[in-house]
Amino acid sequence: MVRPHRIRTTPELLKDLRTLRVGVFCPRDHNGEELIRQLQRIGCQVQAFWPPPSELSEPFEVVFLAVKPETINLDLPWTKGDGGTTLLAVVNYENPTIVDAVLCFGATGVVAEPIRSFGVLSSLILARRLTAQLRQQKRRIEKLESKLLSARQISEAKAILMSSKGVSEHEAYAIIREQAMTKRVAIEDIATAIINANEILTAVGKPRTTA
Amino acid sequence: MANHDPIRVGVLFSKTGVTALIEQSQLSGTMLAISEINSAGGIDGREVVPVYYDPQSNPALHSVLAERLVLTDKVNVIFGCYMSSTRKTVLPVVEKWNRLLFYPTLYEGFEFSNNVIYTGAAPNQNSVQLADFMTTNFGSRMYIVGSNYIYPYESNRTMTELVLQRNGEKVGERYVALGATQEEFDPIIADIKKKKPSFIFSTVVGNSTQYLYKAYAEAGLNAKEMPIASLTTSEAEIREMGAELAAGHYTAAPYFQSLDNEVNAAVLASYRKLLGTDDVTTNMCWEAAYFQVHLYANAFRASGSDEIEALLPHLLGSEFLAPQGRVRIDPTTHHTCLYPRVGRANAKGQFTIVREAKRAVHPDPYLVTYSLGDWTARIDALDV
Repeated sequence: MVRPHRIRTTPELLKDLRTLRVGVFCPRDHNGEELIRQLQRIGCQVQAFWPPPSELSEPFEVVFLAVKPETINLDLPWTKGDGGTTLLAVVNYENPTIVDAVLCFGATGVVAEPIRSFGVLSSLILARRLTAQLRQQKRRIEKLESKLLSARQISEAKAILMSSKGVSEHEAYAIIREQAMTKRVAIEDIATAIINANEILTAVGKPRTTA
Repeated sequence: MANHDPIRVGVLFSKTGVTALIEQSQLSGTMLAISEINSAGGIDGREVVPVYYDPQSNPALHSVLAERLVLTDKVNVIFGCYMSSTRKTVLPVVEKWNRLLFYPTLYEGFEFSNNVIYTGAAPNQNSVQLADFMTTNFGSRMYIVGSNYIYPYESNRTMTELVLQRNGEKVGERYVALGATQEEFDPIIADIKKKKPSFIFSTVVGNSTQYLYKAYAEAGLNAKEMPIASLTTSEAEIREMGAELAAGHYTAAPYFQSLDNEVNAAVLASYRKLLGTDDVTTNMCWEAAYFQVHLYANAFRASGSDEIEALLPHLLGSEFLAPQGRVRIDPTTHHTCLYPRVGRANAKGQFTIVREAKRAVHPDPYLVTYSLGDWTARIDALDV
């Protein structure tokens, strides 16, 4: 007997294909037409523009952008957004200039010309997942960075209180927290205020240097 | 001067190997249409000559023979393939040489090639209807048995989704090798007996099909309580296993031999005449193999050539009054608008049709998420 194939339910990324708004920013030549037709077979909501617009008229979830000699120098601000749009590059050259442009536009997928219907679906799904993962990771990193910064500030503020007031670390933290509660601000803000005040007081206390 | 040269077409259906039985019926459907075309004077006076090879149900051999048909026999068109695994090996050949493959088999969808015309059912033309019928009439605890290759995997995913939509569950899922013997089904049937599903969904294909039904019958299971539902068990498989074993089980397909209409009656008469016997068996794959040759011939008459660039514009969007009803090639997907039906096997080895679409259902080969409500309005209950 054959071992059962591991059966899966349908991945979420495949389920929303029919509501996906897709922009195709490619010349309306044979390749552009074929790409549009295949996306329509898949069932996406497709809109085509050429040349590539500098602003998105609609919140496209996915954009297929022709990365060709005539587009590599375009300034497309929407490609530098928050990662809400998945970008796939459509290329007909593979030289370093074009590959570099693909990277600069922040594409997470590539579709090569001549366009074949086979492969478009897989590229689309993979690029969507990569984009979503990158966005999630970016948000997580931002959160962690800000947490790290405030932890550093709090411990610095505690150190100031400990040396200037002669209190324990635990007491120093209690002071900061009480201040935050009384003034209804974040603990980090009190910590920052203590650090700033300390810097000023230290500067004032120092003898002036002469020129 | 008119061209009287014969027109050579490639034919690739297996006479040997695991799926020989059903492919031989596709071969005879193809030959019937060719003989009808030639009896009526050919295509503009030119005789259609099939160049046939036996690809032995072997994917690699399909590719070799397809290339031979193109390079040695110089055909522009190939009629052939049953299993998806064989189509996938012919696909690169027809794409490389820009030839056209006519594929007369139900399959799992998610494919489009400019070099293929698909005349069998896509999942939205058989699975949806079968899932709805089975869950409505028998309940939604499904046990899956399939042959171990790509078509059953994808087909089972679709069925599972549909059954889950009905708040149902998949109580088992087992695969057997292509060409499995009855011993391999016995432990599965034992498990089925234990788990008591509402119905069994089978994607077993080829010559092993009979052993599933045999193991089922020998275990004393009752088709009235826990039937087998299939997309591939046709009149051909039933003839091999015997009507008694299949009786009471269900199959969804666009065509059954028992269809009561004038076109089917005329085509069956023509088939009996060709074979010189009244005892003929036809099925969904035979019918698709039959009507696709006529679609080809009509497009050839309109274009004067069977080179792909000339043929396609006349083929896409074209219609044909087939035994199942008026079919049409959808220009966008190259798949075919068909008439989903559900049949219950009867004591004569034929199907009693219990559900039937009155209008052709458009093919949607890239449909991922099905909605059970969609088709019910378009398919009518007959008896049951």
